[in-house]
Amino acid sequence: MQTYDVELGAAVARAQDGDEAAFAVAYRIVQPGLLGYLRGIVGDDAEDVASDAWLEIARDLGRFKGDGAGFRGWSATIARHRALDHLRRQKVRPRSATLEQDVLELPGPHSTHDQALESLSTEYALALVRGLPRDQAEAVLLRVVVGLDGPAAARVLGKRPGAVRTAAYRGLKRLAQQLGVESVTDDDPRTLGESK
Amino acid sequence: MGERQNGGGHGRRRVHPGAGVPGHQGNDGTGGTAGTRGADGTNGTAGTRGTGGTDGLEQLLADAMRGHPGGGEGEQLAVAAFRAARDGGAHRARTRRRDDWRPREQRRLGRSLKTTLSVLVASLTIGGVAFAAIGTSGSSADDTADRARERQPHSAASEQAGTTPGTAGSAPADRPVTAQDTEAHCRAYEKVQGRGNALDSAAWQRLIEAAGGEEKVAAYCVRQLAQAQRNKQDASQDDPQGKAPDKGNAATAAPTTGAPGNSEKQPEKATGKKKQ
Repeated sequence: MQTYDVELGAAVARAQDGDEAAFAVAYRIVQPGLLGYLRGIVGDDAEDVASDAWLEIARDLGRFKGDGAGFRGWSATIARHRALDHLRRQKVRPRSATLEQDVLELPGPHSTHDQALESLSTEYALALVRGLPRDQAEAVLLRVVVGLDGPAAARVLGKRPGAVRTAAYRGLKRLAQQLGVESVTDDDPRTLGESK
Repeated sequence: MGERQNGGGHGRRRVHPGAGVPGHQGNDGTGGTAGTRGADGTNGTAGTRGTGGTDGLEQLLADAMRGHPGGGEGEQLAVAAFRAARDGGAHRARTRRRDDWRPREQRRLGRSLKTTLSVLVASLTIGGVAFAAIGTSGSSADDTADRARERQPHSAASEQAGTTPGTAGSAPADRPVTAQDTEAHCRAYEKVQGRGNALDSAAWQRLIEAAGGEEKVAAYCVRQLAQAQRNKQDASQDDPQGKAPDKGNAATAAPTTGAPGNSEKQPEKATGKKKQ
């Protein structure tokens, strides 16, 4: 991650100096995580929302200050705002209660832990994540898929880091339960303790 | 936000999503991912923490959810937008607070520098205003101060000539009694009169000396206050509101005419009393 963020930071710095090839590099580094995050919020419209977000990122790049990790957070914030705008326009709820139900009724694709981990399809993962309460889903996606640290994820969401950490933990725990992954519960007391 | 300090927790957590990312980027095939996961899941490479399951899950989610790095239409659109913004000068826009994602310490440093500068500018401004105010009121109260100075040696010198000749002469010199001082003391005198022993303080002694005796203070103050009022009006003559207090002043100024004659005879008597 360190080298990866260093690379991103360097690309962003060059792009801010006007290097469009460097901007393309930053795009390639950031876009996958951003798209994954947006899929979790707006589903199939993620690509459209992502291009809206990138237009704004490209326009405001001169305003940005920070390193590679900072750029990840900054771009995620922009993407999130675009996604929320999109949801408002569509008057579509980010997820429906029935979706969650569907997910729970899906037969586990595999009976054992290892099998489940080996072949979790994008669709199934997406369905699982979108089955989470919104705050948990966002926290999990920002931490795991976008790769933000706790404080950065909290800043994107406009919440306290402790709240975001708890939400991410609960979301992961729930996903793990649905996938039949056992050992997460062991982590519970200490992780919660840290947030105090 | 104060959570940054518990860096330990975050530091450790942040490694994991991150650790997954380059792996994914690098070998974006499933083989590599399965490999890492096998190690994680079975005996826990991160086994010190006993969270192999979460790590595996996080890795799995990252792999499943992350989109494919583009190179396609989206990238071209983004780069075109970048070019347009760059050539249109949009990249020279000012950084807003929400665009500042530098580590917290740097942000704070930048902000504190800004704060220091603005405090400096503000203090200079206020200082300038205050300086200007002192300048104007000082000049307008000049003749009052002069009177006070004239009076001072008269009473003070005659009173203290025998005992401390030096102090009597130097007192007005190293701390001239300004009109404001006298005025303030007079106002305060009205309030504390007859109460406590505040009247024993050096400032009161000076006031009493200036008035030429304790019982003269009241009359002296009336004169001084009236004088100060007049001066203020002189100073604010061009002020459109200057007229209204002018009328009020006629009444307050009236006793002043009687007072001077009174006090001019008194100093010797007052001094005599003091000496006892």
